[in-house]
Amino acid sequence: MNFDTTTREQNVTVLHIEGKIIGNTADTFQRAMERQLKEGNRNLVVALMDVPLIDSSALGAIILTVQSFRESGGKLVLLNPQRAVRDILEVTHLATVLEIYDTEESALSAFS
Amino acid sequence: MHQPTSPNALRTTEETILVVDDDIDIVELLKISLESDGFNVHTACDGASGLENAWANVPDLVLLDVMMPHKDGFQVLKELREDARTKAVPVILLTARGQTEDKIRGLDTGADDYITKPFDLREVTARVEAVLGRTRPIKYINPLMKAMGDGFSEEGVEKLAGHLEAAAAIQRKLLPEKAPSLPKFDIATLLQSSTSVSGDFYDFIPLSEKHIGIVLGDVKGSGIPAALVMVMIRTALRLLCDEAMNRKTDFPYPEPAAILKRINDLLVRDTDVELFATMIYGVLDTADATFTYTNGGHCYPLHYNHRTGEIDFLEACGMLVGAFEEAAFTTKTCTLAPGDILVAYTDGITEAEGPPDIFYGEERLAACLAKHAAGGKLAPTAFCELVQNDLARFSGSTQPNDDRALVVIKHELRNERLVRYSS
Repeated sequence: MNFDTTTREQNVTVLHIEGKIIGNTADTFQRAMERQLKEGNRNLVVALMDVPLIDSSALGAIILTVQSFRESGGKLVLLNPQRAVRDILEVTHLATVLEIYDTEESALSAFS
Repeated sequence: MHQPTSPNALRTTEETILVVDDDIDIVELLKISLESDGFNVHTACDGASGLENAWANVPDLVLLDVMMPHKDGFQVLKELREDARTKAVPVILLTARGQTEDKIRGLDTGADDYITKPFDLREVTARVEAVLGRTRPIKYINPLMKAMGDGFSEEGVEKLAGHLEAAAAIQRKLLPEKAPSLPKFDIATLLQSSTSVSGDFYDFIPLSEKHIGIVLGDVKGSGIPAALVMVMIRTALRLLCDEAMNRKTDFPYPEPAAILKRINDLLVRDTDVELFATMIYGVLDTADATFTYTNGGHCYPLHYNHRTGEIDFLEACGMLVGAFEEAAFTTKTCTLAPGDILVAYTDGITEAEGPPDIFYGEERLAACLAKHAAGGKLAPTAFCELVQNDLARFSGSTQPNDDRALVVIKHELRNERLVRYSS
């Protein structure tokens, strides 16, 4: 798994993830998200278009971090998850509590 | 909301790595790289200050250069291992290419892994993650061992192993050995654990003469923390059902969605946010031949329709259990006509891996059911075996890499029992 970040307008950071998030990789994933919060970036878009697969550890990381962002008055949204990831989010009904957007434009407008 | 920090999370988000190398450029490079991976990084440029640093502020892992003047990496490693504070801290050695003897000596002295210079930074991250992944559970168990008063003695380890075995035995006892025998319905189960204790579970709760509660669930993760949550869910479920049946207010039985909501709220309140479960809970009415269920984010069960020969997935009706206060559940009913089969399963079955990144999947499971159920003669126990064999063929192994559980319910065809027992 690799990741990089870019800052967009309105102090929104886009964290772009590439590769599978399974097993121990979920820890790196979680730290990458929490680092943004630690650095004071409370508006985060997690871009998942290049993530072919996640497992329950990755779900745990998402759930935990979404709560941390909420508690600090910020927001974390997901961008463009692919079929396998979308299926898991739907079966677990996480899609009903997480904000998921198909385009970066709509994800960014969630913070305005 | 509860605080998302408690000892039952194996993962701590603030992990510290100590880098010891006399090459200042390498130290800086590793510091930048590991910090961008989210670690706290401490550094030292010789063996003596490395030891001082490690003892003053015990790190979660040490990256240690072998070739250093005065005190070399082997001496540092030896002294780390001799001190109670750093005895269990994982160490990865940095060695020059080709020095095989170093590697062997290093692993003999108690290093956890080694990385050959010159290295790729991605390899460093991968090895650090792998070693931390292996040692996190040990770090979690160590305080338990200390609390037992035996420190790190072999006797202490044996005692702890004994406790773990006892925990596994208690858990096995909680799972019903045999599915209940019911009029008109035949039920079979399968449970394969990937570790001694399992996060997958099922249970049968007698509610009345014609109603039986059936649960199948999967607690995220595996090992002791998952098993503890499983025991908690199973106990809460039984208590809630008992209580409701005694009060006789929820006629004829408490609504599955209401039960699951209470379990969700209990878990949200009392456990770490990343400990959650997915589960199906439903009530089988043996007189009306219906299954009234709710589904907390679990894989959709399969329903084989004997009359049409087709397979449907039971609909979704709620979120995974124990993570969000606002989780809501609905109750749905499915009719099981004679010959129909209901199959609930955990993702250890559908996510069994064959060729890399190819999963067994719902479609293969459904195809296996459709193929063998045709004709109406498939017994639930036989189906459990078929799935087990199919999975072994598909994954090329009989050892599961995740817990697997199956609950198979069949509404028997008229006279089926007669035929089966007379043949």
